[in-house]
Amino acid sequence: MRLYLLPSNNIKNFVKKLAQDGSVYYPIFEDDKTHLIKFTEDKEFEPNFEKIRTAENIKHFFFPSRDVVAKFPKDSKVKAEKQYLFGIKSCDLRGIEVYDRIFIKTEPVDPMYKERREKTIIISADCPEPADCCFCNLVGVSPYGAGTCDINVTKVSAGLLCEVFTKFGEQVISKHKDLFEEAGKEAPKEREKTRKDALTELGKINSKPFKEDIAERIEKAGKETMQDAQKDCVECFACLYACPTCYCFLLSDYKKGKNIERVRTWDACYYAAYARVGGGANPRSDLVERFWNRFLCKFNYFNEYEGFFACSGCGRCYRGCSAKIDIREILWKL
Amino acid sequence: MEAVNPYYPIPIKIKEIIPETHNISTFILEGMPIQFKAGQFAELTVPGVGEAPFTPSSSPYADDMEFTIMKVGRVTGGLFELKKGDLVGVRGPFGKAYPLKDFKGKEIFIVGGGVGFAPLRSLFLALVHNIKDYKKVYIRYGARTPDDLVYWKLIPKWQKINGVDIDLTVDIGDDFWEGKVGVVTVLLDDIPVDLDKAPAFVCGPPLMMKFVTQRLVEAGFQHRNIYLSMEKNMSCGIGKCNHCRVGKFYVCKDGPVLTWDDVKDIEEPFL
Ligand SMILES: Cc1cc2nc3c(=O)[nH]c(=O)nc-3n(C[C@H](O)[C@H](O)[C@H](O)COP(=O)(O)OP(=O)(O)OC[C@H]3O[C@@H](n4cnc5c(N)ncnc54)[C@H](O)[C@@H]3O)c2cc1C
Ligand code: SF4
Ligand code: SF4
Ligand code: SF4
Ligand code: FES
Repeated sequence: MRLYLLPSNNIKNFVKKLAQDGSVYYPIFEDDKTHLIKFTEDKEFEPNFEKIRTAENIKHFFFPSRDVVAKFPKDSKVKAEKQYLFGIKSCDLRGIEVYDRIFIKTEPVDPMYKERREKTIIISADCPEPADCCFCNLVGVSPYGAGTCDINVTKVSAGLLCEVFTKFGEQVISKHKDLFEEAGKEAPKEREKTRKDALTELGKINSKPFKEDIAERIEKAGKETMQDAQKDCVECFACLYACPTCYCFLLSDYKKGKNIERVRTWDACYYAAYARVGGGANPRSDLVERFWNRFLCKFNYFNEYEGFFACSGCGRCYRGCSAKIDIREILWKL
Repeated sequence: MEAVNPYYPIPIKIKEIIPETHNISTFILEGMPIQFKAGQFAELTVPGVGEAPFTPSSSPYADDMEFTIMKVGRVTGGLFELKKGDLVGVRGPFGKAYPLKDFKGKEIFIVGGGVGFAPLRSLFLALVHNIKDYKKVYIRYGARTPDDLVYWKLIPKWQKINGVDIDLTVDIGDDFWEGKVGVVTVLLDDIPVDLDKAPAFVCGPPLMMKFVTQRLVEAGFQHRNIYLSMEKNMSCGIGKCNHCRVGKFYVCKDGPVLTWDDVKDIEEPFL
């Protein structure tokens, strides 16, 4: 893959140029949290490419929490605007890969997701400073972009070292080639070192891997084990709404004038009504069954179909949990 | 090629509504909005109320699509407010078709309970379409009372078809009922088929599914020959929203009919 250097002085200029043909979202660090904000000329430009993933889930860029997916009786097409996601982290690339598998790579294709996905250029950034909540290393995710992105950048002393992954990434760079320089020898060496350090740090945070047969262990866990894991859960659902790999949704119809809009909203399998059928039968009426289902979904079922976990190790569920339930602890114990 | 929108239901008018029982009616549409095969289902939209999954009860070879539906809640309630000429929407077909060609030359054993007989009717009519291909088609159907039997006008005609054997029961009889009385398993004491080869099909309420399946397994049907209609909560119908999950199966995609072989290790698969 080709490497380029975007010197520190050119970063703002680059973003400004990108903003001419689409919305650019980039990370800032504020009150101890990372957020993705939209670039505008009048705002102070103080990006941070080193801190961990954003506090908020980023799935709404492709899969909004509320989305009109069809109109009745006459349908109309969704048109998405071009957007650049600049500086998102590798764990969120895993999330996007999960959605790609569900919405594009499995028939039938979801036209809304596909439209937004195709209009989005992803420029991910390395994660040199993993935090206590991070466990990407336990679920097969590297702390830097290695695919699913168009370009990945690493913060080095001279600026951003850019690695190109797709032809769209190549096009972006060649369009603004006056802003880029040869990667040289120093920057790649620096990148190698920061990556090694990040992995060492992750190894310290999560010294124990999950067991090889974790998928089967979850299947066999049994209600008692899960009861114990779930005992402090207050059913706030923060873990599922914050999760960048959860893909459950619900369709509901609303009248709008003479027409009807079919609206898709995020859903979560922890809801008591989630699996209820007409007449009232409910296969997962107890919380323990629903709690267990989440683990089965992410580490067993999805893995069986796609060959990787529907979990990115981002730790948002733990950070957001009212009961401070850490899924690592549950998985380690199995 | 431009991708079609899998969430968009095709608008179609109701041609006729035939009341079957006090809370079950058959809704006949003005044509076939989608081509389906026996075993597949569709999502039916009641405009402004929502949509729910139903298996057509008509033959896949018919000109008009029909659904026989029990009023149980929001969407079905909305449907029962509609009249002849009103618009509904249909999405599909979804799920897998029955492997009908595997059943050639065999005896076929169909067990329905209550409104659960409706989805089996499209299978039955598809079999009747080529009745000579099958050794014999057995129907065992039970409802709560004689007034709860669906298709009671059609059943006498079906009984006359060469190669069809129908037996009925009701949980509670009345002054006019001359047939069997008791839950549907009373029709399963004697199963006159080659248990090694015959496929069985079951659809009905959860408890009925449980006891009938138990009985069929005891009787000696091959586990992979017991086809079970799984009623699960559904939203998208296309294997994306996750609602219909049973173990590793998406019932909307891998089903809606699964075999006992598929689900026997799942705790309470019919709940
Ligand atoms: C493949 C398949 C084929 C079917 N074929 C037929 C058929 O041929 N004929 C037939 O009659 N039926 C059939 N059914 C069953 C039919 O789909 C249900 O009866 C129908 O979905 C009920 O919808 P409703 O909105 O009227 O019922 P409700 O009980 O109002 O709604 C059930 C749904 O709404 C939600 N819900 C509503 N109220 C509540 C609440 N208070 N608490 C929690 N959740 C709630 C549930 O999550 C559930 O999704 C079939 C089902 C499947 C899966
Ligand atoms: S389960 Fe938790 S750690 Fe895994 S992707 Fe979801 S929010 Fe992140
Ligand atoms: S089933 Fe649960 S864990 Fe799986 S995607 Fe849906 S909400 Fe997330
Ligand atoms: S965030 Fe924590 S308390 Fe809330 S539903 Fe999830 S596990 Fe339960
Ligand atoms: S109904 Fe949505 S996945 Fe099956």
